[in-house]
Amino acid sequence: MIAWQPAAEPAIPARLQPALALEYGRSHDLTDAVLLRETDLPAEPAPDALVSPSQYLQLLANTLRGLDSPDTSFMLGQLMLPGHDGAASHALVQAPNLRALLETLCRFHARLTPLLRPRFETWDGVALLYWVDAYGAPSLRPALVEMHMTALVALCRWLGGERLPWRFCFNRGAPRHVEQHQVHLGADLRFGCQLDAMLVDAAWLDRPWPRASEMAARLALQATDGEPARAPGLTAALYDYLLEHVCASPTLERTAADFGVSPATFKRQLLRHHTHFQGELDQVRTHVALWLFQVRRADNEEVARYLGFHDAANFRRSFKRWTGLTPGPIRAALDGELGWFARLHGATGA
Amino acid sequence: MSVVARHIVLLAGLLASFTLLFIVAGTPIPVAEWDWIDVASEGGTALLGAIWCLIVLSSRPDGRVTRLLAGGLACIMLGSWADCMDEFIDVEKAALWDNALEMLVPLGMVILTAGMVYWRHEQANLSDHMRKRERLFRSHRPFDRITQLADAAYLREQLRLESRNDGPCALVLFDIDDFHRINREHGQGEGDRALQAVAHMLLLNLRNDDLLCRYAGDRFAVLMPGLNQYEGEDAARHLCRMVGAMRHHAGSRRVTITLRHGCADAHGAPDALLAALCRQMDAV
Repeated sequence: MIAWQPAAEPAIPARLQPALALEYGRSHDLTDAVLLRETDLPAEPAPDALVSPSQYLQLLANTLRGLDSPDTSFMLGQLMLPGHDGAASHALVQAPNLRALLETLCRFHARLTPLLRPRFETWDGVALLYWVDAYGAPSLRPALVEMHMTALVALCRWLGGERLPWRFCFNRGAPRHVEQHQVHLGADLRFGCQLDAMLVDAAWLDRPWPRASEMAARLALQATDGEPARAPGLTAALYDYLLEHVCASPTLERTAADFGVSPATFKRQLLRHHTHFQGELDQVRTHVALWLFQVRRADNEEVARYLGFHDAANFRRSFKRWTGLTPGPIRAALDGELGWFARLHGATGA
Repeated sequence: MSVVARHIVLLAGLLASFTLLFIVAGTPIPVAEWDWIDVASEGGTALLGAIWCLIVLSSRPDGRVTRLLAGGLACIMLGSWADCMDEFIDVEKAALWDNALEMLVPLGMVILTAGMVYWRHEQANLSDHMRKRERLFRSHRPFDRITQLADAAYLREQLRLESRNDGPCALVLFDIDDFHRINREHGQGEGDRALQAVAHMLLLNLRNDDLLCRYAGDRFAVLMPGLNQYEGEDAARHLCRMVGAMRHHAGSRRVTITLRHGCADAHGAPDALLAALCRQMDAV
């Protein structure tokens, strides 16, 4: 059975990420009445108190709304990593290079970045890290993405001692406050993409970092072995599950059974996370289709077969429904001058 | 007790003591003889005077101008209140104090006028101080909380205006080297202080026509009308030297602050111009 965590259940230690948001808000003259509105949280939680993800999300929403400043999400991101989560945070700091850092981050995502789950892929000289919503927070999603991307960029810059040439794509239109992205993330920004991702030339992955010590890294990783695993959020667990089973056309009934609940309960839970099964499945299939287009250079026929569609025409129609575009222009964009991945790859060869 | 509450109590106390004074010294006029229009206009003036006085006190920092404005309004309030009391209570016409109280209205107006004259001085000083931060026109917009400078949206607006002019104009961006390290090692509070120090240093070395903005994070932008790109570059190098020569301290530790810069001609579509210049900054 798959381990997962609903948004309403306490899981995040109050002294970790929630405390940072609270402290940031207070240091910028927000009152507790504003910060804690509708969270049901006490102003001074007990040292071992747990906060539910939805309470933490509400706290972030209050902070963002209270400060009403375009840089809040970015400043919160600067504070987020490595965090103070004992062995997991220590392993991040001791990572000898970017690859080890990203692997550690993905392994302990439920502790280090509980709200967004990072997924790390690499192929053909490209390293890709994209962020999946863990608890279904559509209204906060843009701010969460800004926050998490800033956290990772800032951590890499600190540990690596230099700015990595990240490129960014965002599943949203161009914002008014693009200057914040330019300064806190970098100038290579692309809006209106299908996923929230950061890419970098894979050559950076194994370049040793200035302070790296083989032994310290090994010891730090050993220390994480004793750490109890924390279950990922429902939508993150579902994304992983769907990605694994995407070829077999997963159904709600089958998935609910694998998640250990009845279909009705599962439906209700998804609704509470502001989503539904078909939406999540379509998102995974979009990402898989894009990946096949880009990496395998697959045509519609092959992608349709892979995703279990009757024929290419059916797939084409569905793809249009998911993304608003037919596969043709998207593939052309990926291949052509606009191609985000292709351009990066071209730069590697140069 | 909050400051506003204290002011309310003070004004109410003054009004109440005036009322008491009249009740003790005079004889009541029968209700049938009350002139309701006079009561409404004089009482209304007193009430509004109290409200204006409270608004001034609660919206301005304490100081000479604030005290004059509030004092003038308080006199107007009390004078009108005395007038209003006259409608209910008959006081011996020979009693000088009643006339003196009614004189409070013109006296209040004189004090208020004096306050406004000083206020004008104050505004002139403030405008002078703000000139490099807002240039050609003032629009209602939030200043950056930390540096009190205009933000990127305002810069874009100014660039749009500038693109209609033919004269030369340079745009320079400045980044603080390793700013993230100050934040990590000393905390965001010290980071904010460093930003303020840099903003002050840059302001002190700008011409009156220049506009300084906090673009975002540790990136500042200076718009230099009348300078071409080479002159702008020269001015930028000077600004970098001035900031580099500054002695900034985080707590008791000295922190060296250096800037890097990128310069461009300020004509063209603002968004594309800024995106290109930011790309240039990343490459530095």
